[in-house]
Amino acid sequence: MSIAEYFKLCCHCLFNNFLAISLVSSLMAALIEVLGLGPDEVQKLWTSFQAFDAFYLLFFWLAFIVLATVYFMSRPRPIYLVDFACYKPPASCRFPFSKFMNHSTKNEVFEPSSIEFQRKILERSGLGEDTSLPPAHHVIPFTPTMAKSREESELVLFSVVDSLFRKTKVKPRDIDILVVNCSLFSPTPSLSAMIVNKYKMRGNIRSFNLSGMGCSAGIISIDLARDELLVHANSNALVVTTEIITEQWYTGNRRSMLLANCLFRMGGAAVLLSNKRQEKRKAKYELLHVVRTHHGADDRAYRCVYQEEDAEKKIGVSLSRDLTAIAGAALKANIAALGPLVLPLSEQVLFFLNTLGRRFANPKWRPYVPDFRKAFDHFCIHAGGKAVILDMGTKLRLSEEQTEASRMTLHRFGNTSSSSPWYELGYVEAKGRMRKGDRVWQIGLGSGFKCNSAVWRCRRSVGREEEEAWADCIDQYPVQVAERDLQH
Amino acid sequence: MAAEAELPAIHGRKLSTVVPGSVTGEAAVYELANIDLVMKLHYLRTVYYFKADEIIDSLTIKALKEPMFPWLDVYYPVAGRIRRTEAGRPFVKCNDCGVRIVETKCGQTLEEWLEIKDSSRWRQLVPEKVLGPDLHFSPFVFIQFTRFKCGGMAIGFSWSHILGDAITATNFINLWAQLLSNSPLKCQQHLLSPETKTEKTPIKLPASMELLPVKQVEHVGDSWLSLNNSKMATHSFQITEEKIKQLQAKESGQISSFEIISALIWQCLSKIRKDKGPKSVTICRNDTSAKRSGLLSNEQKISTVVSDFVPSKVAISELASMIAKQEVAETKMIEDLVDGQSGTPDFIVYGANLTFIDMEGVPLYELELKGRKPIHVEYSIDGVGDEGAVLVLQCPQQTYGSGGNGGKMVMLILPEDQIPPLQEELQSAWGVA
Repeated sequence: MSIAEYFKLCCHCLFNNFLAISLVSSLMAALIEVLGLGPDEVQKLWTSFQAFDAFYLLFFWLAFIVLATVYFMSRPRPIYLVDFACYKPPASCRFPFSKFMNHSTKNEVFEPSSIEFQRKILERSGLGEDTSLPPAHHVIPFTPTMAKSREESELVLFSVVDSLFRKTKVKPRDIDILVVNCSLFSPTPSLSAMIVNKYKMRGNIRSFNLSGMGCSAGIISIDLARDELLVHANSNALVVTTEIITEQWYTGNRRSMLLANCLFRMGGAAVLLSNKRQEKRKAKYELLHVVRTHHGADDRAYRCVYQEEDAEKKIGVSLSRDLTAIAGAALKANIAALGPLVLPLSEQVLFFLNTLGRRFANPKWRPYVPDFRKAFDHFCIHAGGKAVILDMGTKLRLSEEQTEASRMTLHRFGNTSSSSPWYELGYVEAKGRMRKGDRVWQIGLGSGFKCNSAVWRCRRSVGREEEEAWADCIDQYPVQVAERDLQH
Repeated sequence: MAAEAELPAIHGRKLSTVVPGSVTGEAAVYELANIDLVMKLHYLRTVYYFKADEIIDSLTIKALKEPMFPWLDVYYPVAGRIRRTEAGRPFVKCNDCGVRIVETKCGQTLEEWLEIKDSSRWRQLVPEKVLGPDLHFSPFVFIQFTRFKCGGMAIGFSWSHILGDAITATNFINLWAQLLSNSPLKCQQHLLSPETKTEKTPIKLPASMELLPVKQVEHVGDSWLSLNNSKMATHSFQITEEKIKQLQAKESGQISSFEIISALIWQCLSKIRKDKGPKSVTICRNDTSAKRSGLLSNEQKISTVVSDFVPSKVAISELASMIAKQEVAETKMIEDLVDGQSGTPDFIVYGANLTFIDMEGVPLYELELKGRKPIHVEYSIDGVGDEGAVLVLQCPQQTYGSGGNGGKMVMLILPEDQIPPLQEELQSAWGVA
């Protein structure tokens, strides 16, 4: 280790343990003082203590107790993640690339150039052959209907909620708060009402249904559930996140809208959060922070992911070319807000000094990106696409292993929208890498343009067999995702 | 044509695709043997009829599709598509593209349908697709499920002969039925690529290709159906067990039902044809007892039989014994005609000469859906050449319309204008058809 690196390490240690160091040193000083006293001086000190009136003693004790109580009461209620479940589509929904190309070719709306475009995107997408599309997509001709969307909703949501109840052994009637998010499909009654109906939940359940909030809505749902749990003591919150894609298949020829066809796939997740004491024992994670940043004020960011009609009145979600750049900027703003909460003091000081310097000294200084690897053990970046994950990984200086969960989720399940951070967390668990005390960072990115983060701490070691969605294929991962050649 | 207009419309057509349940490895390829390429212009079409009852009724399309995923895991090349090497030789890219499923409904009951006299009624119940012109996306296999008004069901199964012979195709579809019925799998074989088959010993080519049971056709390009000069039609009839015994009794020696039926038809056909031919016929035998070299293979025994005299003048027993005493299987010689690099030229086998195909051993009636066997099976071949083909099929006793007599079912695939006079001749001379 060179002198410069050693010096850097010392500084880091010094800053990070500043409080501890100052406390210990002052205690040491006091002790040395006391030890240096002569026996009659100790006697004098002791008598002066005894002179204290009983009243003052009681007063100080009471004050101490009151302060301690106020301190403990004002601390926010801990929010635990008891367990979560990810949706595993059945083999009958499997949609290999060849089937995708075959069905697209048979669909008369697509021009040859559109089919060729979709083929090129698929080849570079980072998706594998095992991703799934809902039952409606398997039929020729493709006729999406609301009834089929409902069918997909029931298939995904009931399956994943059943899984979660089975894993956590919680009964539907014990759910106090229900938050469901699904951006594009929003029927009446809502999907949350559908769940209440299916599971016969209580009449006084606090249910919420979030729609239109894009791929980052999974974290928004967690935030909402957390707020509810902070207000309502002794409660369980069920958070269900999905994207129902049956009616979202774009059947036109605008390229920016065809991208979505190639990337979005069927998926969903259910999460049980709780602030109950009895769940504390078996809870897997504790929620430490949720940080949300919104870039809607910027026009370019606002229009970056935009649902609209094309010239032929076909509805699709348009993904702009600037997506990666905008996502990068959104991430920067988010980490600026998240940094102070999670980064060790040393990184924060460096970041602060760097910002000061760029503001007052020389704007041309390279912006210092704090080293988040020091703050987190696992990273779950929304599997939006191969380019987005790579870009995030580069910006955060992550290694291949640290972006592995995101890349492999993209390969196995495709872009499942708001539920992808959960599949990624499942991957880490299934690989046996989750240890007690590990900190996890989930990043959601989506229309708006929004970047949302959730930070969790692992409370107990998680066995590999607990994860079900990845169970039958985890040993084949990681795979090298090479570019495919679909032509030959 | 008038008969077709009376056929009840099959309606409510729905298409979908079923792929293998798990990912076939990347760049997995199934090589086609030369004999496979020789058979590429032929297609096997089968229709299985199931009577309505609560088991058949309970089979929803979901239940019918469910066993297909593990089924295609075993037979994954069937879910692939044709590609060509740089030299032009076709092979199968195992890209999990899937088999095509068609669902249709029929406004008549099964009984009413089976009463229809039109011999080509089966065409409505099985997709008539061929490989090409878009080879990249043409499925090898189509399966059509037709529900009759009474709840009965017809399963139309279309198989591209390039992948395998009748026994291969029947074993394939029977495996699906076994998986549907949750019976223990009887298929223990694994897919073997042609490289692992036994080495071919070079055989001296016969002087003239006319002696071989193939005909070279014009290059078909990417549309794998050879065009006929005459319009082909089909006709099927039953020969009862007693009748066969009667015919066998007339001749001395041990003659099998296939041989006697073939001889019969050969002689009658020779009588009605202007050229009094054909003098040479092709015999195709499907040998169920022989050990097969893999799940997918073309292993039928093909050979030529030549009559020195005009067949109409030759005695049945003579013809029958010629058929019985076939030459050595000429499969190897046929294979050597195909160029290893380019896979050309294009050939047809069925119909190059008048072809008699022995389907007796093919387990068509073994397609058991949860204990229910088909009450009737119709079978035909598309892509047959102008000389025509005759199939001799099983006709178990319990099948529909057999009157409990069993025997054999004969399917004629001949030029349209030959069928009525042949029927007359068979009726008058032998009391069949």
